Amino acid sequence: MTGKKLLQQTPGPSTYVDEDYYRRLYGIAQDWSNPGPPVAPDLHHEITALLHRECRLLDDGRFEEWLDLFQDECVYWIPSDPAPHNPGSTITWEIQDRRRLEDKIARFRTGFAFSQLPPTRTRHCLSNIEIWAVGESELRVRANLTVHTYRKGERGALACMGGYVLQRRDGGGWLIEVKQIILIDADQAQGNISFML
Amino acid sequence: MSAADPAADWGYLIQEGRIHRSVYTSEALFRREMRNIFARTWVFVGHESEIPAGGDFVTRHLGGRPVIITRDAHGHVHVLFNRCAHRGAKVCREDKGSCKVFVCPYHSWTYDHAGRSVSVPLDYAYDADRESGKFDLLKAPRVSSYRGFIFACLNPEQPGLEDYLAGARQVIDEWLGRYGDGVVEVSGTQRYRIAANWKFVTDNQGDGYHPAYSHRSLLMMAASRYGDKDMQYFAADPDASNMFVKGFRNGHYYLDQRPEMHKVSAWELQRPQPGRERLEQSLPEKYGVDEAKRLLELAVGAGMNLTVFPNLLLIGNQVQLIDPLGVAETDLYWFATTVSNLPDEVNAMRMRTQEDFPMFGEVDDVENFESCQAGLGIPEAEWVDCSRHLNSDREVVEDDGARAPVTSDITMRTFYKEWKRLMSVGD
Repeated sequence: MTGKKLLQQTPGPSTYVDEDYYRRLYGIAQDWSNPGPPVAPDLHHEITALLHRECRLLDDGRFEEWLDLFQDECVYWIPSDPAPHNPGSTITWEIQDRRRLEDKIARFRTGFAFSQLPPTRTRHCLSNIEIWAVGESELRVRANLTVHTYRKGERGALACMGGYVLQRRDGGGWLIEVKQIILIDADQAQGNISFML
Repeated sequence: MSAADPAADWGYLIQEGRIHRSVYTSEALFRREMRNIFARTWVFVGHESEIPAGGDFVTRHLGGRPVIITRDAHGHVHVLFNRCAHRGAKVCREDKGSCKVFVCPYHSWTYDHAGRSVSVPLDYAYDADRESGKFDLLKAPRVSSYRGFIFACLNPEQPGLEDYLAGARQVIDEWLGRYGDGVVEVSGTQRYRIAANWKFVTDNQGDGYHPAYSHRSLLMMAASRYGDKDMQYFAADPDASNMFVKGFRNGHYYLDQRPEMHKVSAWELQRPQPGRERLEQSLPEKYGVDEAKRLLELAVGAGMNLTVFPNLLLIGNQVQLIDPLGVAETDLYWFATTVSNLPDEVNAMRMRTQEDFPMFGEVDDVENFESCQAGLGIPEAEWVDCSRHLNSDREVVEDDGARAPVTSDITMRTFYKEWKRLMSVGD
């Protein structure tokens, strides 16, 4: 899907975010420190490849293709505190359902998103990857995520924990349900973080 | 700075429709602001809901001075200099928390939440006894709250807070009045670091001229995907609407979007946010159609932008605190708010609506503030313009201030009149 299409598209209803879903997200956030047993090497390799692709699409600014890695009912989440909180009762830096994530990309594509003109150049690096299963069809991934940045003469780096919830796709493969990015200094002052983490 | 110094020629720096660039770029003027403004007038330091119980504290700055905002066992709020009476170390090094006493890590001089010395190790070797006050923390002589907003003042001569607030008081009352008996509580903070002078934030807060241009990406995205949603009422000529700005006594000013945003239904005008459909479904089932309608309006921003000189802003449902760190370095706190008498799911929607503008709009404002700071580095181009509607005869003088069309720079002119008055004291 091209950027222009997203900008011109009228989204349908978004019906999955409610109090129960916030409780689920809060539970997920509390679980990152208690990983289950690691998955088999083949699966580990498959998931790592998927997430490397995810990083590459972000670094290349191919946000519409990046969105295709997510299932329809998905969440992109940057909390405003490193400690877990229920997003139903606390402000976040960002918590997007699919519709608002599309809004964010569509804003970039207007040509007037001044905070991203020029865009922040990024290199997303994943390491310390741990993957475990929750039931038959869900995987959790926690990793150290470093995002190196450059914009308007300034180099920078953001240190994060990247947490992913993946769901088995009908017909094989995996889709991202949740991507949570926990900045090491999420509770401190941030500069321009209007790009994609 | 002497009166002979051209940088201190206040009549030159602040003119009727223009401000000299050095007001934003001079290190000397910044240091003077920290003395003449932030140490003289009432300064916003935090919200009571951040320290609900005895023993609670948060640390902040008061015009660059590290302070601890505390609540003592009797419920009284204090603003203590975070500086041990002994050698000067910070006695509290956390952003927030709760404790029984403050113990300086250096020599364990210990203080209570009112700043009084509790113990000094091996104190027999000092001449003074602890009752003398010599061992206490210094503190703001005056601390006052107005309906949850905590202000401190280092100037014993300053009039009381309620008098100081002048016309801004009525705006705060209306902002809180939406909730009846409900108490507004801080529910998380976003803090932005801005590489620009702190006054670009206040200049912009009353600027009804910029939304169509600065926020073009947000308006274009919203219009393209959703039709007539969000702040489209700023797009054509906002002065043709009933929106207005108003300048009060003491440098405070106000921009009212309600005549457009709340004309029919602010909820209906808002671009859909996460959880919208589920809330529209569940609220009428639980509370009935009329009550649901009322509650949904409270999930959307107030449509009120207030600036209380120098550093408290109300914007939508959020509270902002400006913390000037240097002449071109500013922290801007955005305190999100929930309300005690609203259902959890309505407060959840308030979180989603409140975080929308910072990420879709404020980011572009900050980009412009930083760009202005860079532009003002050009010595040959001296002036920042604030002459809009200066001579258009569209100001109406009312009891508590002057009302003007929504794109009028009366807001900046009001602010800098007070700035000039305070800065010129002591020449």
